[in-house]
Amino acid sequence: MPRKPRLVWLLCLPLLAASHSIPSETFEEELHVRALPDGKVASRFSFSVLLEGTSPRNPQNLSAEDESQHYTLFPLTLGQILREYAVTELHLTLNAGNWNYGRWGYPDEVDVGSGAELWAWMGEGGTATVDERWRGLRNALAGLFCASLGSLDELRTTSPALFAPSGGLPDWGMHNPHEIRHASLPSEHVCTENLTPFLKLLPCKSLSGIATLLNPHRLFDADWHGMGLHVSWLPEAGVQARLTFQSVTDPLRSSDKRDWSFASIFDRKIERRCPSATASHVVVSLPDNGAYSIQPPPPSIDRASNAAVFDLKKEPVEFDAPLDISMQWPNDEGFEYNLVPQTPLSVRRLLHGSSQDRGSLAVSISNSGNESVSVAYLETLPWIVQVYLHSMTFSINGVPRDDILRNFTYVPPIPHARAMELTLNLEIPARSTVLLKMDVTKAFLRYTEHPPDAQRGWDLPPAVLVPHGGKRMYTPTLLLDLATPDFSMPYNVIIFSCSLVAFIFGSVFNLLTRKFVVVKVESK
Amino acid sequence: MASHVHPTDTTLRDPAGLFSESIRRLIIASYWLVIIAAIPLWWQTTSIERLSLPTSRVHAQAANTLRFPVHIRLENVQDDSLAPALQQFVQERTQTSGLDVTVDDKDADSYTITLAGGPPLVMERQLTYPVRSGTLPALADTLAALLVPPVDVHRVAQYSPRYRLAFTLLNEDAAAGTSISSWDVSRAISRHLSPILNSLSVLHNFTVESQVQFHAPLAFSPVALPHGYGLTPEDLTVFVNSAEWSLSSSVSNDPVLHFILFIPSESHKPLQILDSNGNPSSSDAFLLPQWGGIVIYNPPSDLDSSQLPPSALTSVFSTFAHQLLILLGVPSLLPEMRTDPSSALTGWQLDALLRRRASENADGARDTLESIVKLVDQIENMPVGQDVRGDVQNSLTALDKMYASTSLNETLHQSADALTLASRAFFNPGMLALLYFPAEHKYAVYTPLFASAVIPLIAAAMREFRAWRKERR
Repeated sequence: MPRKPRLVWLLCLPLLAASHSIPSETFEEELHVRALPDGKVASRFSFSVLLEGTSPRNPQNLSAEDESQHYTLFPLTLGQILREYAVTELHLTLNAGNWNYGRWGYPDEVDVGSGAELWAWMGEGGTATVDERWRGLRNALAGLFCASLGSLDELRTTSPALFAPSGGLPDWGMHNPHEIRHASLPSEHVCTENLTPFLKLLPCKSLSGIATLLNPHRLFDADWHGMGLHVSWLPEAGVQARLTFQSVTDPLRSSDKRDWSFASIFDRKIERRCPSATASHVVVSLPDNGAYSIQPPPPSIDRASNAAVFDLKKEPVEFDAPLDISMQWPNDEGFEYNLVPQTPLSVRRLLHGSSQDRGSLAVSISNSGNESVSVAYLETLPWIVQVYLHSMTFSINGVPRDDILRNFTYVPPIPHARAMELTLNLEIPARSTVLLKMDVTKAFLRYTEHPPDAQRGWDLPPAVLVPHGGKRMYTPTLLLDLATPDFSMPYNVIIFSCSLVAFIFGSVFNLLTRKFVVVKVESK
Repeated sequence: MASHVHPTDTTLRDPAGLFSESIRRLIIASYWLVIIAAIPLWWQTTSIERLSLPTSRVHAQAANTLRFPVHIRLENVQDDSLAPALQQFVQERTQTSGLDVTVDDKDADSYTITLAGGPPLVMERQLTYPVRSGTLPALADTLAALLVPPVDVHRVAQYSPRYRLAFTLLNEDAAAGTSISSWDVSRAISRHLSPILNSLSVLHNFTVESQVQFHAPLAFSPVALPHGYGLTPEDLTVFVNSAEWSLSSSVSNDPVLHFILFIPSESHKPLQILDSNGNPSSSDAFLLPQWGGIVIYNPPSDLDSSQLPPSALTSVFSTFAHQLLILLGVPSLLPEMRTDPSSALTGWQLDALLRRRASENADGARDTLESIVKLVDQIENMPVGQDVRGDVQNSLTALDKMYASTSLNETLHQSADALTLASRAFFNPGMLALLYFPAEHKYAVYTPLFASAVIPLIAAAMREFRAWRKERR
């Protein structure tokens, strides 16, 4: 059979050709530590894996067999999800606590909304619609991160155009535009069961490199912590997956000095370098004034940002392992709080009214700067609370103003089906506080819509404030109290209501069918 | 007419005259009418949808067995008595396996036996053998081994139309000492596995993927040996550390076959597999039944690059290929048989595998269908919807088509469909709906309402009935 070998050879050809197109992958890790004005320490871990020369999957090819996936550094489980649902851009954050903009300034990673937030850009077209793939994506990520992302369902999904893609969107023709899906779940509790799968996605897990410092015992003890997964397509480079972890720890909790070290905030040191990282940096922001000392002495200082840079990949190693960077303010007798607002804008949001039926939503946006700022304010609320747009009023120091609102878009909620999306374009004058008020009504739920377990109320997702050309800001979440039936004694409830129904029925029935006769009573 | 009661007030009327007797009876009758008219609605809204399943067809299927006709052609044989004798011998050896073997010298597109000297040579669907009357029993043994080869069923993964083949390069600890950070996996797959995957494409589709991990700690410590470390047979059973090695897939339910190349850390080098007596064995690979295969590679200390050397890649992937064949249940040829080294699998092997998978699937589908019928019979308030009934019917149709089909590929296809549909019907989530809401609960909710409302109704009806009878008399 002389022809047989040639046939096999021909069958292998496409595979051989494919083998040359294996993308090269790079992994970069960075830790940025900075002392905050109120004495706390913010740390931001960033791990980014770049698949060079790759592009997202075109949803029109979803029905066809996908090419084999061979990864070296890129997490395979994540790659499978991205390919399966043809996701172009993906942002998932799981945060615990409220980011205090006034005291801490802007975070290094902007997505700091409490609870879980997921948004994705996906191309239209192909056999599965964007909404079907969005559902699949939610469930797959829920499985991957052990988080209840499955409940980010249609009742919470919106499509706000305010969330612009951070990377590029491939052009697949004008009939296949990209669409955004966004949902947040403020009641999600972030804990170690979410961190463990997060660490598994890293090439070096938490066994070497900067990720060694990710010690769950200390991280979940922090004042604020949050993890994020950001996948975007950089047209010049390729598909990038970036995993981030931010935390705010408080050295003043145990002492009256703001001195910190890796050992004190993470209870760990960097013992070994991650062999697969192409770049590995620890960046420590240095104070602008005052006497301080940093140990070990930094090998290089970035003058532009006034930060000490430790390059962990550099040969020869300038420090002896383990690396434990520490920072001290030797002249401090005790830390004095600096409570000057760190951001020109601040936003507060409150839900007024004690009744379970109606109330009012009050948002106050302050601009402490000397120039007026135009901002976009995005409110996405589940249908259980509905706003009355006609009752929307703006005032400054109690004086009604009608020149604040420039423009707005509104997608009304559909009860039991769709969330509300309200984007207001506002002009906040200099050195003033704008108060926005709206009446709201609270829904009466069907009994199956109540959660099956004990609960404290309904968390409403944070609103988002985007200054023109600035960074996104998140408001704290709100707690909504809805009329809740007493589920503790269902049988008693059945018996009581049945008795009532039977009583009414019996009375009416008797009145209709009883024979009434006049009995003559002789008067004397 | 009320004037004699209160002569001064003409607006008061005698209440007894408000309703005549017939109107009151009409009111009571209309209550009953409404109740009776509402019963079908109530029945409709509270009854469980329980469509009847084709029980008799399912039981009829149980009696069927799948039989495969096998036609063997004896080529270039002068002696006419050889063919019937060979047929007799082969039938004796393959009696229990559902084969109907016929041997003759007529032309047919099936198996061929060619007369030639030397050891048996197995080609596509051809066997070259020194056929003589004396070698017939030995030839029959060879044919039986080719047609119904023995296979260790415990190692073979369950049939699935699609498998995921996940290749993983695991460094136990890349941060300490030599590590392998890359391998030319797609070239190795195309060289060593693609021929096999192509010939098996009639049975399965494959999704191939690979990853590299740099930190994959073991869950136990290997035994220290004078030169290196060893894995006892007990260690091999717990070798896979599922908690630390991220091997799971998150997007599909297709079964995964894992192929792992394990690079021991500097502190566990060289790592060897020990036999039951504690002596290092010559093999560096082992198979986890129905799960996958593992190869241990101890990189030489003078390795100059972090890429897996080509020689190691070749040996590792030929081991993977061998493990894949075992996991998929591909029968191996007997050691004395020679074959064409350029083709991955012979037609004999492929056909034997097709026959075995088809009969496995058919048995599985039949058993599942019987279980569904039994289950639905046993649990009276288990709903049976249109989709369950449709799946059961389609599964039966697929079984019928399978018996009628003429080609092996078609048989396998239909048997796989039958099994998939039967399993889908069995695991239909709609069948669980009322399992936790028994009839007692329903009565507990109904009695407080209905008993207290119906009693006055019944009392009124009886009273009127009695009054009516009195009037009649």
